[in-house]
Amino acid sequence: MKKTLLVLFALIHFITYSQNQLPNVKLKNLKGELVNSNLDFQKKDVLYVYSFWATWCAPCVQELDAISEVYGDWKQKISIELIAVSVDDSRTEKRIKPMVNGKGWEYIVLLDTNQEFKRSLSIANVPYTVVVKNNKIVYVQNGHSPGGESEFFDKLKSL
Amino acid sequence: MKKFLFLITICTSLSLFSQTKTNSEKTKGRLFGGFESNSQWYLNDVERGINHPEQPIRSNNYLLLNYNYGKWTAGIQAESYAPKPLLNFNPKYEKTNLGTYFLNYKTEKIDVTAGYFYEQFGSGLLLRSWEDRSLGINNAIRGGKIILRPSENISLTGLYGNQRTGFDVAKGTIYGFNSDINLSGILKMESSDVSVGFSYVGRDEKTTIENPNFKELTNSFAGRFNYSHDSFYINSEYNYLSEDAILYPITVSNIFVKPGSALLTNFGYSKKGVGLDVSLRRIENMNFLSERNPEVFSPEQTSLAYNDRMMNFVPSLTKQHHSNLANIYVFQAQKSVSIVSDNGIAKAGEIGGQIDFFYEFKKGSALGGKYGTKIAINASNWFNLNGDYTLYPPDYKTDFFATGEKYFSDYNLEISKKFSSNLQGSVVVINQFYNHRLIAASLNIQVNSFIIAPEIAYKLTPTKSLKVSAEHMWADSDRKNWAALMVEYNHNLNWSFYVSDMYNYGFDKNSNLIDDVSDHFKIHFYNLGTAYTKGSSRIALSYGRQRGGLVCAGGICRFVPPSSGVTLSLTKSF
Repeated sequence: MKKTLLVLFALIHFITYSQNQLPNVKLKNLKGELVNSNLDFQKKDVLYVYSFWATWCAPCVQELDAISEVYGDWKQKISIELIAVSVDDSRTEKRIKPMVNGKGWEYIVLLDTNQEFKRSLSIANVPYTVVVKNNKIVYVQNGHSPGGESEFFDKLKSL
Repeated sequence: MKKFLFLITICTSLSLFSQTKTNSEKTKGRLFGGFESNSQWYLNDVERGINHPEQPIRSNNYLLLNYNYGKWTAGIQAESYAPKPLLNFNPKYEKTNLGTYFLNYKTEKIDVTAGYFYEQFGSGLLLRSWEDRSLGINNAIRGGKIILRPSENISLTGLYGNQRTGFDVAKGTIYGFNSDINLSGILKMESSDVSVGFSYVGRDEKTTIENPNFKELTNSFAGRFNYSHDSFYINSEYNYLSEDAILYPITVSNIFVKPGSALLTNFGYSKKGVGLDVSLRRIENMNFLSERNPEVFSPEQTSLAYNDRMMNFVPSLTKQHHSNLANIYVFQAQKSVSIVSDNGIAKAGEIGGQIDFFYEFKKGSALGGKYGTKIAINASNWFNLNGDYTLYPPDYKTDFFATGEKYFSDYNLEISKKFSSNLQGSVVVINQFYNHRLIAASLNIQVNSFIIAPEIAYKLTPTKSLKVSAEHMWADSDRKNWAALMVEYNHNLNWSFYVSDMYNYGFDKNSNLIDDVSDHFKIHFYNLGTAYTKGSSRIALSYGRQRGGLVCAGGICRFVPPSSGVTLSLTKSF
């Protein structure tokens, strides 16, 4: 127990020093091309929304479905690009393409099959959203609240 | 304890370091990582006859710290299973210790790691080292790895090392080479994507068997291709594992030596509003371990039960349901040879397939209504390999394309629909067949089940929402019928609450039971919990009963014993 407390202590010690830059990991897109998770998304003032999801994660799919319906509107109002990072392993990765196309999602999709990107951000559970602007992490959201899109959009506008 | 203090010292110095950086912003050094803690307070449950273990409060904790400076990154992961790990985790996870460490140098063309690393070749049928904390899997390889990317279309990987087991490494030495070549990029093909890959994995382990009928170095090879054109795609891979001794029953046998193989083909068609995907797979004798003999903890429990020292990843190709009841009879891929002379069970692998179909009825159409209607159909069927099996001396000769006795099947349909801007619903119907006798090489119990699971989500205000999920399962044997209900309330982006119950009202003590020890009465599995999230932090607290059974992620499962108690989990990344 003491040790656990110590770990917690060490943790609290750290909280103030947050990671402010996204790690760069090479991931495949749906065409099999290698994409840099950070270096390929560095346009000035664009909000890059990295949404970590999986085909088997119901709240993730719900969230991406909900955003998909308003994505066109959002793009007209702010400079935004959503990157849906799938953490599906080889059990379910074959379902990604038919699901993304079947649902008509217009996102950039990256495949984090062995979870290197997820691990580099210490993500325990999906859905998990990281917003990057001008190469700095400006917002992180752990989990999803159904219907939270409008709240999320307000947040994005303020960044 | 000393190690811990040492760690904290490192942390402190590193964090001071990072602070200097943020203040000056002249250099690029930065500290990042995360913390995860999963604790459980096991309680007595008089009705279930469960006494909490001697140490009722148990906790698994992980602290990952990385430091990056330009092209260099170094990291450590400390793990603490104190005072004891959660029930039924690998007993080799003991106390507090350093789990992994690494040093990495990375540029556009080269990526070198010394220390512990994770890697997957192709789909992982020959080699996958990864971490899954909920399953207690961390089979990182300790050694060296180099990835070369001479052009953006070619990636070459070489690796060497020993696989992690508990806080130690396994005896077998692993050698690996992998190549991925994007041909369409090289040939500048515009309309099609073509890529190929080749892998080699070797495992070298001394054996104590005299005059072995197998080589100490086991070689494995894989070749694969991907092709896609417009809406159509196909990919396939073949894996071969050279002759090696098979576990018979739980130690390697010099009289039972066979090669292994895996063939996987996947194809599909998808465009906006429609998707079809078909996967076919044949697996024979693909139990590839970094140490031939599993560690035996007790006559019934070996390291295999904890997914320890697995070199490859053979996931079950079935739908991963989120319905609770559909996860009672869950299929695990049958990659190993098992010949049991006592009850006549003989199997050498599996053959079967899975089909997925996604379709959207457009907005405004008769079935689509105002918001459209989405359907997903999935079907999977898995069988033993057909062939001639001999119980003693153990032997088999399989046919390449023929199915034997059925292990498992799952046919399911999911319809989801938005009714208004506030109301959304879905329904899933599932029919499963589970052949316990053949899957577990145990009691002759076969279960046919039918599940229906409707769910509605209602948005009360822009941030508050309510979700109600009901489920019912009719099963023709084992514990028979179940009913379940879950109510979830999301207050805002930060707070959520749930309460649930799973009731097994079909229990009959006179029927044959898969678990013939625990919970022999009509039982309620009630649970309630709450979660708070802010930024990258999440705290979740719950109380309730846990059914004994398999907890699975990605088609790999861990057995959890029946328990009652309080669970606290904490995650934070920084």
